[in-house]
Amino acid sequence: MIKNFIKIAWRNLLRHKSFSLINIAGLAIGMASAALILFWIQNEVSYDQFHTNKSRLYLAYNRAVFDGKLWCWSTTPKVMAKTLKQEYPGVEDVTRSTSANFLFTVGDKHLNVPGYFSDPGFLTMFSFPLLKGNSKTALNTVSSIVITEQLSKKLFGNDDAMGKVVRIDSVDNFTVTGVLKALPNNTRFNFEYLIPWSYLIKTEHEDEKNWGNNSVQTWVLAKPNVSEASLNKQVQNITRSHSDQKDGDVFMHPASKWRLYSEFENGKIVGGRINTVKLFGVIAMFILLIACINFMNLSTARSERRAREVGIRKVVGAQKGSLIGQFLGESILLALIAGTVALIIVQISLSGFNQLTDKQLFIPFGNVGFWLICLIFILLTGVIAGSYPAFYLSSFKPVSVLKGTFKAANALVTPRKLLVVLQFTFAIVLIICTIIVRNQMQYAQDRELGYKKDNLVYTMMMGSIEKNYKMIRSELISSGAATSVTKTSSPITQRWSDSWGYDWKGKDQSQKIDFITYNTDGDFVKTMGLKVIAGRDVDVNAYPTDSTAMLLNEAAVKVMGFNNPIGQIIKNGDSRAWHVIGVIKNFIIESPYEPVRPMIVQGPKSWFNVVHYKLNPANTTAENLKRAEGVFKKYNSEYPYEYHFADDEYARKFNDEKRTSTLASLFAGLTIFISCLGLFGLAAYMAQNRQKEISVRKVLGASVSNLTTLLSKDFLMLVLISFLIASPIAWYGMHVWLQNYTYRIHIQVWVFIAAGLLTMIIALATVSFQSIKAALTNPIKSLRSE
Amino acid sequence: MAGMIQEAQMIKITNLEKFYRTEEVETIALNKLSIEIATGEFVAIMGPSGCGKSTLLNILGMLDDPDAGSYVFNDIEVAHFTERKRADLRKHNIGFVFQSFNLIDELTVFENVELPLIYTGVASAERVKRVEEVLDKMQIMHRRNHYPQQLSGGQQQRVAIARAVVNKPKLILADEPTGNLDSSNGNDVMELLTDLNEQGTTIIMVTHSEHDARYSHRIIRLLDGQSVMENIMV
Repeated sequence: MIKNFIKIAWRNLLRHKSFSLINIAGLAIGMASAALILFWIQNEVSYDQFHTNKSRLYLAYNRAVFDGKLWCWSTTPKVMAKTLKQEYPGVEDVTRSTSANFLFTVGDKHLNVPGYFSDPGFLTMFSFPLLKGNSKTALNTVSSIVITEQLSKKLFGNDDAMGKVVRIDSVDNFTVTGVLKALPNNTRFNFEYLIPWSYLIKTEHEDEKNWGNNSVQTWVLAKPNVSEASLNKQVQNITRSHSDQKDGDVFMHPASKWRLYSEFENGKIVGGRINTVKLFGVIAMFILLIACINFMNLSTARSERRAREVGIRKVVGAQKGSLIGQFLGESILLALIAGTVALIIVQISLSGFNQLTDKQLFIPFGNVGFWLICLIFILLTGVIAGSYPAFYLSSFKPVSVLKGTFKAANALVTPRKLLVVLQFTFAIVLIICTIIVRNQMQYAQDRELGYKKDNLVYTMMMGSIEKNYKMIRSELISSGAATSVTKTSSPITQRWSDSWGYDWKGKDQSQKIDFITYNTDGDFVKTMGLKVIAGRDVDVNAYPTDSTAMLLNEAAVKVMGFNNPIGQIIKNGDSRAWHVIGVIKNFIIESPYEPVRPMIVQGPKSWFNVVHYKLNPANTTAENLKRAEGVFKKYNSEYPYEYHFADDEYARKFNDEKRTSTLASLFAGLTIFISCLGLFGLAAYMAQNRQKEISVRKVLGASVSNLTTLLSKDFLMLVLISFLIASPIAWYGMHVWLQNYTYRIHIQVWVFIAAGLLTMIIALATVSFQSIKAALTNPIKSLRSE
Repeated sequence: MAGMIQEAQMIKITNLEKFYRTEEVETIALNKLSIEIATGEFVAIMGPSGCGKSTLLNILGMLDDPDAGSYVFNDIEVAHFTERKRADLRKHNIGFVFQSFNLIDELTVFENVELPLIYTGVASAERVKRVEEVLDKMQIMHRRNHYPQQLSGGQQQRVAIARAVVNKPKLILADEPTGNLDSSNGNDVMELLTDLNEQGTTIIMVTHSEHDARYSHRIIRLLDGQSVMENIMV
């Protein structure tokens, strides 16, 4: 019997080519989209789940009140790790990590590579397997280094790296004691080498014991059978009991939640990426459902053709069950073909999708589990798509279909109409969301930045730049490469430091106010293109006391409550007194979606990491960079010249929103396409079913446009209903989404009208093709056949 | 039934009623109809359009159920059988021949004839044997791999008859079997039915054609859902 079913299913596919094509195309696109999203979701949920110790791994977090709110953050004091290991019975091992950025030299090769300082336990706590070396001992000595296989290849080619020596920052030699297998793409860790913590202690001359300086990440391995709750109970007071701090808790964030549940609000986890994962899951489900709906609608629409077959089969002895089986078999066969096409589509589009999502997803062709999931996916799609048509078609009464009195229902509300409404509702929701996400992004992009990012370039201070800064600065200007240069603590697009330790006259001591801290050696206003509201820029040449001068932004002046900020003295924990010499207009250094926070810019007696320089507008960018390279090479010859454009870096702040918007547009487009594919097929069947009516009307004098309107208006009505349902859903969803941004747009009515009109036009174009075709048919043809 | 050996009774319907209702009108298709048909009989049912012939045939074929009255088939009361039970009884006992042949376009001649055997669970080798046997008998063996639309009307009806008899049913219900055929093909079909009847199959045929009706043993004439006359053919 199965053979018979497959045979007839196959012949049906071949006989009704356009029906099959529309269905397979729709299902394949739907399945491919869903599969891509599922790959993405699988990657997201698998983050750091490959560690053998994953159920016992934690990252230590601080939790304390600032500005009346409970905040959580994952940087911790360096001393915490040792204390945890020595004094807390639930802890088996602890490792710290903090980022390192060194120039590697091997022979005449120089490479600037990111890595980590870490304690020796790093390699045993986490499951990053060593291809060579012993994970228990690889980081035990101060001059040992563990590198990844990629870095090994970059430094030593195909030679065995073990035991070879690399020179770091032209200062110290390290011996390779381990080669790590390339890190998987589903880990939060991103390093090319590990350098022992002991080296950090050596360069800083001490292992800091200050409980007030949160600067490293502390990873904890709990003993077996120690629960998260009991561990948290043990470690909660660690900071308070080891320092004179009066508030602040410590808690452990488990590995299972690192990736997806890492957003905290008022001290509690409120989600994180899991929200996106869930949203994408819903989108995947809907796109697949929309493709399945096409199959349902087209199958039931052509039921009049299948009805006779059902009748005959019933007459010769078929039970309803076997007919359901037959129709399900047909939809599964179709899903199987569509699934194969989908796999090809996925393979072709994966690299583009990876670029879009910043991932390295791939199809695990060699994995049995993958094929099993494929099979389940196809079966499921076939069953979802085929179940309604199967029950519908198999319920026909043979008497009426064989006598020819059978007429498919054409009621006011039919399941088919409901399904079309469902499709278009989803499509319109996606279109509205896409427009709003884009508007929100544009709104933030158009926001007044507060500084001039064009032609602004920065270079990280490495090697001898610090030592030779004066010469570099003067030659950048004298060479004509730059018009102005300033040394700062962090890039203009990043906040690297903040502090609540400032004290000033009139401060309410009960309040902890956090300030962004930034440093400059002078020419800050000129280089960045800032606006001075009161006072002046730091200028230690003209005013020698400016070494302890300070600038405030407007927000800082406001929270400090100064009526006349110039001349105010501000202290920062230590005894150093800074005096305010100027107030600058707020500029965006953090999120372009958030209000600018209070900021303090300290003068030359600070620490510096970055050189910013404004390129000379008189030259081309290429010429300026060439000259700048000459200067940096001259004074920092061992390091490659690296530079970053502030406008590129600023644009990165929109990456997430850009990605969301691109994906939303992509899925909206696909949804509309699949829905219209179904509508196209449906319109064809409807036109066919109404051919006699059309002919009679034509004979009685109806024009082509009368008839086209007649045939199209029913479909447009469905789109209109979809629009009415979609609008409030989209409005609510976007309203909630926009709450994530303090600086946000108001949802405007035109967005809905535009989305509705766009959908109407697309649907009309789809349907009218069939309508016009039907209206142009010679009426004699269909009347004669009656 | 004179001139015939009295056979056991196959069908007995008593006071059978069937109504068709739409929102506004109720039409009586069968009005307290009572008929008996013996095993081995060849009965023709005649009457003007709308007299209830097809309704009667559908009920006899267990494709439809009556609204009232009794229908005893081979000593079993089937009037209130569930659809499932009727389908089961039908596939083992009754074959159908339609005016419009009703072959499945997507299946070949062989596959169309094989269909009832598949639904009654006959093993594959046995199916091939039986289908070939019956195709041979109907003289369309050479067309076994053709599709219905590649055949003439007469050939299609032969296939339909082959399909109706392949399961060796006790009863064949034919609904105007020659209605779509020219007279020569029509006569062939009637000869085939007569042969089948002579081999013991009971045949009930709805027809408009007096000519075809003459092949039967008995003509039941219906009017407005009632039997108005019976002619026994000699």
